[in-house]
Amino acid sequence: MEKTAALGIAIACGAAMGLASVGAAAGRVPPVLAGGVLILAFPVGALALFRWWCAGEGEEDIPFLGY
Amino acid sequence: MIGELIGATVFGLLLLGIHRKVIARIQGRPGPPVWQEILHTLKFSFKESWVPRTASRVLFVGIVLVAIAIWVAAFQVVLAGGSLLILFGIYMLHKIVEHGFGLSSGSPYGKFGGVRSVISAASEIPLFVSIAGIVLLTGSLLISDIEAWQAVHGPLLYALPLAALAMYLVLLSKMPWGPFSIVESKEIVSGYKTEHFGIWRAGLEVCNGLKTSVLLYSFIVVFLGPLPLLWVLLLMLGIQVSLSFACALTPMLAPFDSVTVQSLVAGALLLYFLALGVVL
Repeated sequence: MEKTAALGIAIACGAAMGLASVGAAAGRVPPVLAGGVLILAFPVGALALFRWWCAGEGEEDIPFLGY
Repeated sequence: MIGELIGATVFGLLLLGIHRKVIARIQGRPGPPVWQEILHTLKFSFKESWVPRTASRVLFVGIVLVAIAIWVAAFQVVLAGGSLLILFGIYMLHKIVEHGFGLSSGSPYGKFGGVRSVISAASEIPLFVSIAGIVLLTGSLLISDIEAWQAVHGPLLYALPLAALAMYLVLLSKMPWGPFSIVESKEIVSGYKTEHFGIWRAGLEVCNGLKTSVLLYSFIVVFLGPLPLLWVLLLMLGIQVSLSFACALTPMLAPFDSVTVQSLVAGALLLYFLALGVVL
């Protein structure tokens, strides 16, 4: 369920970035707005994509405390 | 826009791979393949991931998003010919991001890395000194204006070699495995990024790739002016290799020595630009 949601977020972010880029290239979207979409959507889209294809979640652990 | 962004990220990762390869060859080791950092990013993105029990969940995850976002913003600023002050402000912001990385996990090594990132903010002082020289000469902070000035008067590198040197020092301070890389030195494991593994580390790698491209590209735009893409890529590669030589041939400084060296350089440059301001 969580992986499906992550894929949905990744696709939504990809679509938003694609539309913003094409719109800016065609002069229909102001470059500042397109840049803003990229700033917000690129990090979220990248992490959502990684979240979708990564291996299953493990149990949380205490931090690394030395050898 | 999205194409350039992904291209810059992948090219930056490739440059970091070349950086590792050059350092390894100078040190007499075979070293990893040049595309190792790209593989590294993919590898981490496939791995099992979780948030440590002692971490602040919101900060632990959110700081990865912020780290990527600020360099996407920096990339947009350079491409749009925006203000140098915003760009250099983002360079400073990266130190705060490193601090956030370190403090978010609850690991002592992360915290040491985070504290060192604050100390190493001194590395940014030469940056602001170099801005002073650029404004004195070109009369503007906008990258587009600086490019236009260079189209008429020639590269700023010839007019302000010491400002270029200051900026080069900043590039060196941001390179991994360099003399000023005190935030991730081995005595504190991996420093601020010790606990960020799996998809969080993959996100950090994306940030590092983009950061490398932005740093090198902005140096070329500001000091050499607008150039054809092929020349820009070749120059980025050349500057990266020179940085790799500097990293391979100089030992990592102790934290306070690192700050002292950078502060002394900034002080010397400040005196130079003050004198230049009086002359101009």
